[in-house]
Amino acid sequence: MKRFLCGVLFALATVPLLAGGIHGRVACAGQSDNGGAVVYVAKVPGKTFPPPKDHATMDQSNRVFLPHVLPVLVGTTVDFTNADPYLHNVFSPEACADKFNLGTYPKGEKRSHTFRKECFAPVLCIVHPEMEAFLAVLPTPYFGVTKPDGSYDVRDVPDGSYTVKVWHPKLKGSEKSVAVHGATEADFQIAR
Amino acid sequence: MRMTTHDLRRNVFWVAVGLILFNALPATAVPAFSRKYQTSCQTCHVIFPKLNPFGEAFRLNGYRMPAETAEQVKQQPVSLGAEAYKRMWPGMVYPSDLPSNVPFALNTKMENIYSSSQDDTGHQVVHNDFQFPQEVNLFSAGTLGQTFGFFGELTWEERPDGGSDTEIEHARLDVTSAFGPEHLVNFRIGKLAPNLYDGFQEMWLMTDNGIDTLFTFNPIGFRGGTGLAEEGGGVSLPARARSIEMYGVAAHRLFYTVGVDSPIGPGGPNGTFGANSQKDLYARIDYKIGGMGLDGDTGGVKLPPENWREKSLRIGILGYTGNGKDVNFDITDDDGNAFKMQDRRYNRYGVFGSWYFGDLNVFGVALHGTDRLQLLDDQTLVQISETTRSYDVWFAQADYVIRPPFQASVRYENLRVADATVPSIRALNANFSLLIRANIKAMLEYHRDLRNSQNYTLATVLRFAL
Repeated sequence: MKRFLCGVLFALATVPLLAGGIHGRVACAGQSDNGGAVVYVAKVPGKTFPPPKDHATMDQSNRVFLPHVLPVLVGTTVDFTNADPYLHNVFSPEACADKFNLGTYPKGEKRSHTFRKECFAPVLCIVHPEMEAFLAVLPTPYFGVTKPDGSYDVRDVPDGSYTVKVWHPKLKGSEKSVAVHGATEADFQIAR
Repeated sequence: MRMTTHDLRRNVFWVAVGLILFNALPATAVPAFSRKYQTSCQTCHVIFPKLNPFGEAFRLNGYRMPAETAEQVKQQPVSLGAEAYKRMWPGMVYPSDLPSNVPFALNTKMENIYSSSQDDTGHQVVHNDFQFPQEVNLFSAGTLGQTFGFFGELTWEERPDGGSDTEIEHARLDVTSAFGPEHLVNFRIGKLAPNLYDGFQEMWLMTDNGIDTLFTFNPIGFRGGTGLAEEGGGVSLPARARSIEMYGVAAHRLFYTVGVDSPIGPGGPNGTFGANSQKDLYARIDYKIGGMGLDGDTGGVKLPPENWREKSLRIGILGYTGNGKDVNFDITDDDGNAFKMQDRRYNRYGVFGSWYFGDLNVFGVALHGTDRLQLLDDQTLVQISETTRSYDVWFAQADYVIRPPFQASVRYENLRVADATVPSIRALNANFSLLIRANIKAMLEYHRDLRNSQNYTLATVLRFAL
């Protein structure tokens, strides 16, 4: 009986490890580090994904957008907060992001925008021209962003064959077919 | 009076003392580009300031690494606007950046000159000067975003009489790969060393003495020019010019430049302001066979691991033309009668060659100059006569890297002056350079007027850059 219970507990404990997903590394040639690349499943045949109820958040702190790259599912509303003790503005010149402009607002205030189309949109602050971030508005909820060492983790991907794409703010993207069976590894190389 | 064995020993002693003192200085500081890329001076220089082939490509590329990537720049610049603003121009200011540290560099030169010359009475005059410091150069150079760059040099020089001169030797803005294929169309505007001399300017800077026969010949004279220019004389070619210049590299190996600049006299070799309403024109084209491409391209060539070596030949032609209308020079005839003279059309045509064979680099220039000289009445400025005079100047220099810290250099200069009654100027310059550290060097240099054995200098030089 003890052996049986231990076996059940072990099986339960290892479920997250064995859950489907794609992980690996992206090498970004010529960049100071390998961070900021978005890895995502381009399409899941026969399946659509309703927009999440929860909002995503992009903050402005010390004149930096955080995070620098934010992937979201199509239809997601993003809250842009301001943690700095001075005015910030948030806008995007990208048509697929409706060329939104949230105006200029002080610390503690947040303004939101809903991204309804697939898009890779720069997010800018007209008050501080050096500030820049990117919204990756994606067709599936299966995505991840690389860390500076290039590693990424796309979780909860059902088993199956998919086209997996990589997007980077400064480099040409890449894609490959990946057959997912549990935890599956896929590495990419991208360059200018 | 010749330099005695005692004098020589004394000089060697003081040089040795100097070397010991300065060798004790920490050599951790390096100039602006070394800081930006966190790389050694040796990346671009054989023995500074002489550029190796990579350094030449770096210079022609607007002081950027060939095929530069973000990871090569170790000192990240300060952003003056996000990349996305490019698409919004002219609705927004086009993005750029600037160096994160103030990009200054300092070059200091100490010199002991033992000089001998013969005065008008035939007596030998000897000086032995510690010129500590003889010259200090403050450089500022860097890039402003992906297209623009800048280069400035402020020089403070101590005169032998104890006074000093300060001059802005360079102050220019560069526009790199302005449009079209990369490297093909670049612009420079400001006070600059024209790319007319590209490829041999940095090489002659290797020696302490400049090539005066090429740059300071004074073509003004009653029967044409007789020698090198004093203050305010006309010059053969401007070492620096106030210029707008276009240059570029095509197909990795073809170099061209065209420029327009202020007239070359009477401000001396460093150019002048508004001598008249005219503008001079210059152009150059040349081709490099073998070795690294002028844009840093290494496709199809096998280069040795030692970055100062290669087997290549670079040959080119250059030309310069201008009009000295309304620029009056004072002259006298053999009887002392005063006149004015204008150089109404000066033309210079030259060929340049540089041959690398491993550790050896032989290079030289031959230049033919003509000057249409108008003799004018000293008071009324009425034209009295007009004649065209010509002169020829050439030099050849051989630099040899004995070992990376040691280089020897020999140069011969020959100037046939325009006045046929004056003998040609011939000079020999021999240099031995020791790179004590990557940014500290010592030189021993002998310069001799081959027409008169009493005219020579022996210089010991110490330079350091940080």
